[in-house]
Amino acid sequence: MSRRLRNILIAGAAAAAVFTVVTYYLNGWPQPPGPAIYVITPTLVLLAYLGVGLAAWQRYPAERIGLLFTMAGYAWFLPSLTQLHYPLPFTVGIVSGALYQAVLAHLALAWPYGRLRSRVDRVAVTVNYSFNVGNNVVQMLFWNPRTNGCGTACPANLLLAHSSSRLYSTTGTVFSVTGVCITAAIAALIAWHWRSARGYARQAMTSLIWVAIPIAAYIAVLGIPGNLGIPGLVLYGIGPLILIAAPAAYAISMFRARTARRAVGAALVDLEPGPSPARLRDALARALGDPTLQLAFRIPERGGYQDTSDQIVDPARLPAGRMLTELDAAGNAVLVYHELMQHEPELVKVTVTAASLALEHARLQAEVEAQLEQVRASRTRIVEAGDAERRRLERDLHDGAQQRLVTLSLAIGMARSQAAANPELAVLLETAAAEAQAAITELRELARGIHPAVLTETGLAGAIQALAERSPVATTITAVPASRYPAQIEATAYFVVSEALANVAKHAAASSTRVTIRELTGRLVVQVSDDGPGGARPEGGSGLRGLADRVAAAGGALRIESPPGSGTHLEADIPCP
Amino acid sequence: MSVTQPAAPLRVVIAEDAVLLREGLRRLLTDAGLDVAGTAGDAAQLLELAGALQPDVVLTDIRMPPTQTTEGLQAALHIRHQRPATAVVVLSQHVETGHLFELLGDDPRGIGYVLKERVADVTQFTAAIRRVAAGESVIDPEVVSRLVRRPRRDSPLETLTERELAVLALMAEGRSNQAIASQLYMSPKTVETHVGNMLAKLGLQPAAGDHRRVLAVLAYLRG
Repeated sequence: MSRRLRNILIAGAAAAAVFTVVTYYLNGWPQPPGPAIYVITPTLVLLAYLGVGLAAWQRYPAERIGLLFTMAGYAWFLPSLTQLHYPLPFTVGIVSGALYQAVLAHLALAWPYGRLRSRVDRVAVTVNYSFNVGNNVVQMLFWNPRTNGCGTACPANLLLAHSSSRLYSTTGTVFSVTGVCITAAIAALIAWHWRSARGYARQAMTSLIWVAIPIAAYIAVLGIPGNLGIPGLVLYGIGPLILIAAPAAYAISMFRARTARRAVGAALVDLEPGPSPARLRDALARALGDPTLQLAFRIPERGGYQDTSDQIVDPARLPAGRMLTELDAAGNAVLVYHELMQHEPELVKVTVTAASLALEHARLQAEVEAQLEQVRASRTRIVEAGDAERRRLERDLHDGAQQRLVTLSLAIGMARSQAAANPELAVLLETAAAEAQAAITELRELARGIHPAVLTETGLAGAIQALAERSPVATTITAVPASRYPAQIEATAYFVVSEALANVAKHAAASSTRVTIRELTGRLVVQVSDDGPGGARPEGGSGLRGLADRVAAAGGALRIESPPGSGTHLEADIPCP
Repeated sequence: MSVTQPAAPLRVVIAEDAVLLREGLRRLLTDAGLDVAGTAGDAAQLLELAGALQPDVVLTDIRMPPTQTTEGLQAALHIRHQRPATAVVVLSQHVETGHLFELLGDDPRGIGYVLKERVADVTQFTAAIRRVAAGESVIDPEVVSRLVRRPRRDSPLETLTERELAVLALMAEGRSNQAIASQLYMSPKTVETHVGNMLAKLGLQPAAGDHRRVLAVLAYLRG
């Protein structure tokens, strides 16, 4: 709709409203008009249809619903032209007396997007328009205002061909019967539309039914001769308000479409991170009010798609009334929805965007988790490889250099026992023996630092006992399981205790420490506590950080509590199958 | 049996996987007047020889093929179980008390646990073997020292004098009062007094026999 057309239509609406009010009060001047309600409600109806019509036209330019509402508004106004007391507007006003009813029927058949669905609908609408205008034209041929109840108050009927009360009333009866038939047919079509509608469209059709029934009842009462004895004030004063139900319902649906977009967003926010596709579909279906919504994924083995309820979706052969949109460039996921949703392109866009965002998020999350899993596994492998290498080094030292040095010492020792006669040689050999002994001691400590053989030989019990005996701080072992565990778990637990004891000796100024290792279900808990001044910072020393890394590599967690004045308490939780 | 007839030399079986060291040991012991009845390169061979030769002493490395962990130790325990009269000297490359206590069990008689490098001092080494063969216990001073020097809190050990600690260490090494007296240049009477005082301080019962005493003191030190 162009800006100019819009301005014209708005001006027309204002003019029609002013016209209705002004002519009502001028008519019969200086006699006072009837109660104000007779002019207030028709004006409200006029403004409601034109207002909603123009708003809808503006908002959904591709749809005809706004146009139909606007047309209904002007059609409602046309009979008011009879107030002008000139033959032409009077005749036009009388002829168009039931035009708004035809537009309303059109509106109902074209609900909710302003497009007629089938040829049958189009025929029904055309017949109805022709009938609603035509019956008045035919009756006008025989209706003489001066002899048929209007007297001199009415202007001339321009269409009058043959003044005849008999023909006028006969045609009236025929047209009443015809009108009932046509209306019934249209009602049947609307009911059919409602029945065949699904999901999103069903919702719209249901709201139409709630609106159409009272409006149809009101119009039916207007058509019945005698109007069931309902007083004019109720029928013409209050009754037209019923007509406002249609624009009101549409305004509500427009508002709901807007909130639906928000609902799609809210539905996503409410979802837990990385929702399952089924949960995502349910959330979107709820937000859109379309239970038929399908979220389908490509199944390469089957060469097609499968939705979250395991239904096969064939993009080439979608059922009638279904639309499909790909959610990603590769077309690995698609959204299948009712075709009526395409009348809400923005809603479709929001839904598709939301769904693809959620799926992309889930995909990225899965990717990151897979990568993290890889990194974890490789970290564990690196540590295990390191441990294995250290074990090998220690064994090499033991079987190689250490053994040779012992053999050397033995040889020196035997030489010494034979060199008693040569004091100088004895002194030299004594020095050599001392050097060899020192080398053996150093090498032993070095090998132990690389990997404690006692851990491999006797497990944690012996190794922790050895650590405690070696520790420069008095160390009590509260508990150590005698059982053996996989090498990496033993090595990690040992490393935790050894590093913790080394830290205590270096920093804690503690007089005693306590070591506890317990096996709980599925994990080994290693605790080392000291009675030092506390205040150790886990992020401080590289020792503690290395320890945390080491425990994490075994899939465990390290906790350090070191409140000032209360000692340092270190706890490692190591998973243990 | 005539007193002039020299005692038959001690029959020893040696188990050590390093060939050079094994041959060195054989030569050392032979030179020292012991009878090396056989040598083994692994635990299985050792068990076989011990069963066949019934030696007075088995001298074995702790760590041997195939797993390079504690085969020697396990073999020694097995031999002791089969024939308790066999004296066993275990050579260790590590200062680990775990192995020691496993080896001692509840009867330390005729058991020796020495660091491998002790072979450098030929006299002391052969003396240790002879003591073990005579039913004494020989615990390496390095291992004992590790236990004695270990830091403790609120322990009666802190109340001991240096002299008493030295006596305690020698007790733990398996020495008799006589030996302690001669090593520390004290009279046997003084040693006895020290030992009595110390055992009282530590709350240990004066044990009948040196071997009981070794166990009690070592267990206390390890505690």
